[in-house]
Amino acid sequence: MSFVDSILAGLSLVGNFEAFLALFAGVAIGTIAGAIPGMSATMAVALTLPFTFSMQPIIAILLLLGVYKGGIFGGSIPAILIKTPGTPASSATVLDGYPLAEKGQAGKALGMALWASCTADLISNLALILFAGWLASFALNFGPPEFFTLILFSLTIIAGVSGASLLRGALSAMLGLLLATVGLDLVYGTNRFTFGDPSMMGGLNFIAVLIGLFAIPEVLAMVWDPKPHKGQTRSLGDNKVTFGEYKRCFKSIVRGSFIGVFLGSIPGIGAAPSAFLSYSEARRKSPNRDNFGKGELEGVAASEAGNNGVAGATLIPLLALGVPGDVITAIIIGAFMVHGLQPGPMMFILNVDIIYGLFIGLIVSSVFLLFIGSVAIRGFKYVADIPRGVLFPGVLVLCVYGVFAVNNNIFDVGVMFVMGWVGFLMMRNDIPAAPFLIAFILGPLLEDNFRQAMLMSGSSPAILFRGPITWFFWGLTVLTVIAIIRAGIRATRTLKRRA
Amino acid sequence: MKFAKFSAVSAMILGLATAASAADYPERPINMVIPYGAGGATDISARTIAEPLGKAVGQSLIMANVTGAGGATGSVAVKNAKPDGYTMLFARVGSHSVNPAMKATLPYTLDDFRFVTVYEINPFACAVEANSDINSMEDLIAKVNEGGVSYSSSGVGSGLHLAGAMVLDEFGVEDPINAATHIPQKGGGEAVTAVLNGTATFLCTNSSALASFVANGQMKPLMVTTAEPVVGFDAPTSKDLGKPALEQLVGWTGIAGPAGISDEVAAKWGEWMAAAAGDEEFVSSMEARGSIINVMSPEDANAFIQEQYQTFKALVDKLGMRVEG
Repeated sequence: MSFVDSILAGLSLVGNFEAFLALFAGVAIGTIAGAIPGMSATMAVALTLPFTFSMQPIIAILLLLGVYKGGIFGGSIPAILIKTPGTPASSATVLDGYPLAEKGQAGKALGMALWASCTADLISNLALILFAGWLASFALNFGPPEFFTLILFSLTIIAGVSGASLLRGALSAMLGLLLATVGLDLVYGTNRFTFGDPSMMGGLNFIAVLIGLFAIPEVLAMVWDPKPHKGQTRSLGDNKVTFGEYKRCFKSIVRGSFIGVFLGSIPGIGAAPSAFLSYSEARRKSPNRDNFGKGELEGVAASEAGNNGVAGATLIPLLALGVPGDVITAIIIGAFMVHGLQPGPMMFILNVDIIYGLFIGLIVSSVFLLFIGSVAIRGFKYVADIPRGVLFPGVLVLCVYGVFAVNNNIFDVGVMFVMGWVGFLMMRNDIPAAPFLIAFILGPLLEDNFRQAMLMSGSSPAILFRGPITWFFWGLTVLTVIAIIRAGIRATRTLKRRA
Repeated sequence: MKFAKFSAVSAMILGLATAASAADYPERPINMVIPYGAGGATDISARTIAEPLGKAVGQSLIMANVTGAGGATGSVAVKNAKPDGYTMLFARVGSHSVNPAMKATLPYTLDDFRFVTVYEINPFACAVEANSDINSMEDLIAKVNEGGVSYSSSGVGSGLHLAGAMVLDEFGVEDPINAATHIPQKGGGEAVTAVLNGTATFLCTNSSALASFVANGQMKPLMVTTAEPVVGFDAPTSKDLGKPALEQLVGWTGIAGPAGISDEVAAKWGEWMAAAAGDEEFVSSMEARGSIINVMSPEDANAFIQEQYQTFKALVDKLGMRVEG
């Protein structure tokens, strides 16, 4: 079958009202679910799954993909408006999105998030369509040693999000690494730091830590120093993203999209590290890097491009190898199987119409996302107008509900409050929260992959240098560390000269 | 005297009240705890049966994923729940036979639960990457004896972990724990990926988790652990290979309550499950994923799990796989 035939076959499958309706409904459900703190994109997809059992396969899968894409974007709305990331993937968006909202530019931040998301989505989908086979075979070269070096390099992000003091950033990261060790040991299955409490055996819930660290300190600060009426003019404003701003951020968006595509096509990393990596790269390259973390539009663009760039690319291992890239695609694989489809190389031969139908649906979904997203922004903008005295108690209720809903576990709510106090103390002492979070995400990945690599080689470290991929990341890591040290020396010199 | 009378009366009233509540059971929605994450084998199985089961029960079933620690977090939540039949657990081979057999400090034992049914059985299959030069169990065992072979699993104390060791042990590998390296992964999907990308040599897991990889020619099945061949798996059965003991190695999903649930509640579940499993759509969608639907009565379910647990426990003790601490 030629390319045109394949496209026509796909079109005949999705070129009907139901398919587009399913996709549209999916994006809408996802955006709303993602916007509710604690209701992550993963949960939204899992909850939609049972409803798709009775649908036609292609319609069911389009619906789920719509929910996924909508959910990843929807998470950025509360991240920007109330500093509570709706999904883990949008935690990087908080860094600049919330300061922008504080400045009364929430509209701009949301608009940029949407445009960056849609652009990244489109690039990611095109990457899936054009390079699926190539990226999939590349992803299969990623074993534990390659992962280890990639994560090691990613840890250099910490320098990028530490703000003024690298030392404080490192302290924050240490704390994150320490807390990430709670739970079961991967290799021996023994309890670590659980203090005999079964609730601790599963480790600290990621969303509870995330919301505790970001949203609760704001609430506590508000209680500490109540100024319900003084609140800055936090209206959404009529400021929209101008084309000039989009053009200024375009480079970062494209870079973020490619980081997303690259990390998304490798199973097991997920959207959050990609968003942080994209953010720190944008900061490194930007002329106004000092403004990052204080409300820089480019920061929002980079983070959102990073996490949405993953969305299409995670389908690469799914379709080409039958391997789920993250939890969400694991659920979507379940949907394939319920309908008797077996994702993998054979699907490109046996079910070409479905594959191309999906491709067409994915491209259309980017357009739907743009449309539904702009409606959602208009709908949620009233949140920005709520006076702080009403908003903050509301946020607190939402956080408690959301964290409980993730795992139906009251222990998680306790974790959230404890982390809230930790976050509050960190805020008071100017210790940035982002390095904590990055270390908390990457720490376990680093450890697990290191230990798996050691198991593979019988404890010979030489395995960490096997193949060009590991050398590439070692090289990048060394270069970045040198750059960080040089920047540090230069900064001290300027300080001395001034003194 | 007075006190004795009072207590007798109150005991009677209390007795009547319990009898009444058992007759009315269920009068409100039932909480169903899924101890594994959304989208996993247990979750999909649970959500598929929830439909017909809800109809049979006549009350809504509230499905809640309580995840963490290989199913332990959710299991503990149900263990500590009131044994009134309104909090039930979807139990799985990993959480309720392998993990209790392996982990010394697990915060629950099998005695903390009363099983009302086991409804789904998944045979296990062992497979290697398609381009591997291993073509049969014989090749695999020869390779293991040479050294340098590893197997992946979804974590310590998972069904896959035990399966790898049990298969090697049955095929006469001496000291299987040290002869082959166990490389634990974070989940079932990751375990398959590890074999695909060469991190591990082989794995033994549910046939349903391998079906699409076998169909796509990415993986080569070496054996299935059933007496009858499994559709789609061009591999000998453990019976063909003269290892019938491996038939114990099956995955299953069942429903359990806290140990104290009454006989009436258990009996009701027996009826509901019989009704629910008759649902054609349920059966066909489960079979499409490679599961065998076989609803066991509460008694059979308990006997089945105990037997599997004892087999696994004996193996764990023999091989020194017990996780202390």
